[in-house]
Amino acid sequence: MTKKSQSDLGLVARGICKSFAAPVLQDVDLTIHRGHIHGLVGENGAGKSTLAKILIGLEMADAGSLYLDGQPYRPINTADSVRKGVALCAQELSLIDDLTIAENILLHNSSSNWVRNKRKHVEENAVRLLELVGLEDLTPRTLVGRLSLAEKQLVEIAKTLGSKAKLLILDEPTSALTAQQADRLHEVLKKLARDRVTFIYISHRLGDVLRICDRISVLRDGQLQLTAESHELTEKTLIWEMVGLDERIDTIPRTAIGSSPRLLSVTGLQTEKLPHPISFHCQRSEILGIAGLDGSGRTELLNAIYGLDKRIAGSVKLHVAGMTAEPRNPRQAIRFGMGLVAEDRAKDGVFADQTLAFNISIAGLKRIANRLGRLIRRRETQAVATLVAALRVRHRNSRQKMRELSGGNQQKSILARWLHSRSQLLLLDEPTRGVDVNAKLAIHAELVRLRDTGVTVIVVSSELDELQSLCDRILVLSNRVLVAEFERNSWRQEDILAAAFSNYVQETKPS
Amino acid sequence: MREFGIRVAQILEENLIFVSLLAIVVFFSLISESFLSLTTLATLLNQLPALTVVAIGMTLVLISGGIDLSVGSVVALSSGVIGAGIVILGLPIPLAACLGILAGGIVGLANGSLGAYLRLPIFIVTLGMLEVSRGLAYLVTDSQTIYIGSAIQAFAMPWASIGMSTSILVALTLVVAFEFLLRSTIFGRQIVAVGSNESAAEISGIDPKRVRCAVLVISGLLAGLGGLMNAAYLGSADPNAGIGLELSAIAAAVIGGTSLMGGRGSVVGAFVGVLIVSVLQIGLAQIGITEPTKRVITGAVIILAVILDRWRTH
Repeated sequence: MTKKSQSDLGLVARGICKSFAAPVLQDVDLTIHRGHIHGLVGENGAGKSTLAKILIGLEMADAGSLYLDGQPYRPINTADSVRKGVALCAQELSLIDDLTIAENILLHNSSSNWVRNKRKHVEENAVRLLELVGLEDLTPRTLVGRLSLAEKQLVEIAKTLGSKAKLLILDEPTSALTAQQADRLHEVLKKLARDRVTFIYISHRLGDVLRICDRISVLRDGQLQLTAESHELTEKTLIWEMVGLDERIDTIPRTAIGSSPRLLSVTGLQTEKLPHPISFHCQRSEILGIAGLDGSGRTELLNAIYGLDKRIAGSVKLHVAGMTAEPRNPRQAIRFGMGLVAEDRAKDGVFADQTLAFNISIAGLKRIANRLGRLIRRRETQAVATLVAALRVRHRNSRQKMRELSGGNQQKSILARWLHSRSQLLLLDEPTRGVDVNAKLAIHAELVRLRDTGVTVIVVSSELDELQSLCDRILVLSNRVLVAEFERNSWRQEDILAAAFSNYVQETKPS
Repeated sequence: MREFGIRVAQILEENLIFVSLLAIVVFFSLISESFLSLTTLATLLNQLPALTVVAIGMTLVLISGGIDLSVGSVVALSSGVIGAGIVILGLPIPLAACLGILAGGIVGLANGSLGAYLRLPIFIVTLGMLEVSRGLAYLVTDSQTIYIGSAIQAFAMPWASIGMSTSILVALTLVVAFEFLLRSTIFGRQIVAVGSNESAAEISGIDPKRVRCAVLVISGLLAGLGGLMNAAYLGSADPNAGIGLELSAIAAAVIGGTSLMGGRGSVVGAFVGVLIVSVLQIGLAQIGITEPTKRVITGAVIILAVILDRWRTH
């Protein structure tokens, strides 16, 4: 490698590895040229965000080395990476609502001297950055809390641009932006790239990535699949590389779903977070999958069905025992036989300081109480023992604290909670995220067994393999719109993924 | 032998609070000859019904993840209502007593509606209600102590046969009843669930607002009852009654193993907490410790209780 060519190399990564419970990044080699916009795409969980975090010192790689402008680069924390000229504009906004735009921008700029920063100077700088991202209508004294989501995202980007970094990582920078706002941002990025600023552009909007990036890398399951010039690539090849060629075979034997009575009808359902009406139905003894990218409205759909989010239009009807019910809140939903396993187990699932028995019986206390509301301890012990044995929850005794159980056993316990309350319609949000392989297989087997006994399951998952092996039918959400429905045996992974991306691609097509 | 030692240590650890109470009692009876007598016991028990019932309510509120700072003032408001009802309006004592308890319930309902349904921070709501109730207590009594007379004192007067008053019997019954409510009823489980993880509780079909509101109403009613007990003990309605009582109740609950973060606690524990604080007060007085020093020691005991509790649960 000659001196001259080194100056063209913005960032070089060699053999980057990172594992948490399982390997997240495996031997990633990546070369990013100075002044390029380099696209990084992959499915949820492919390792994009982890790679970004390693580049800014938020995570440490287990192995491998990084070079920035030919020099070894090993950031120890984010302040260090900013000093060395690398900044991340993260997907989750990091703005402080109670400060003004100018103050937020100042906060980020760690090299600036707080005492010497004159208000006027700070605000002039903010005005310049706001113009850059197309927010010239806003004054820098506006409180960030008053901005719309799109405006906040642009301020976040402005903030990062203001750090004078040499290498900027943008993680889903346009997720909240309209097509026009995104186009404007892309112009700015191209202009800065001509001034030798380097960008890593992470996005689900494949059309955008192809249009503005010089080169594109694809990650799949933590491995770099390819890096190529954008003009050599198409959306189809990108999706193909993201999914992989080897379509997995179903592992769980199952009986074919016959025609059984309808259990749930969702008609024109709308909430604040789901602005486009959604309609579908499912029948008894069916496992219905919901696929889509993070933030595509999957969780919001489950919450709307369960009555956690207020509906602004449409209806959710349950057909039980010859009657039709319309549950409006979780209490009614449970009474009519629903149960929800939420995505965030710690926040919305477990009672960590309470016992295993408490956690299992909590949604069906009436089943272990007499008519006056007195709990019968013996009934509880029996009910819990049966469920715990059936689901093989590993525990010492039923009085053990929930927090002492592993993630997989906690998840089984929450499933047991809904078995205890005799749920007929289970809504599961990422039921196997963060659980070990054995627990995952056990949960899958239990879901199929439940289906065969007449229970209906709606399962949201980021893992297409999981959905394909479990489900009788898969619905696909894209950008909060229900875009497709696939029947078992008539789906291919790349079709499902293309559907999941479809509504993002459309939105940003130049009109 | 070693196993036996471990088992003993375990039993001591699990019943730490009873052991502590016992240790304090033994300590004082060794130092002061007059401490371990029936007279002391009777004095002790007859002094604390008001604190006990208030501490029961406080414990439930704390377990649900809330706090109720208004209870001390509610005691004064309730006894003021009772005193004014009997003396000024000439109401029969039972009716006046019901009005006093009801006044407490109304304050609790206000706390609950504002805190749970309007989502205002419960600390601030009940702090405001502490002032409001105290003000109302002054208004109904015209800022004077109302002398009620001996009729009401029967409630607090020890029965000759058992040495305990109706007041303390009621308080003890309520301790048992509310411990049962907490451990062995659906509602009790719901209180713990809401205090442990509100969001998970809602998803599990519990209405957190209703639960939070309900415990505040219970706390208000019990503080109202505390007002009756206070008036009966004094034979008069003192608008300055119960100042700082909320802090004693919180201290008793915390000594009894209740977590200020919610989700954990015990009514019996709180009662033992009340006993520990009261025994300390009487015992220290008997061995000639001055009031300021007593306060220093009591405060230190509260902090020690939390340290022991953390050591025990981690």
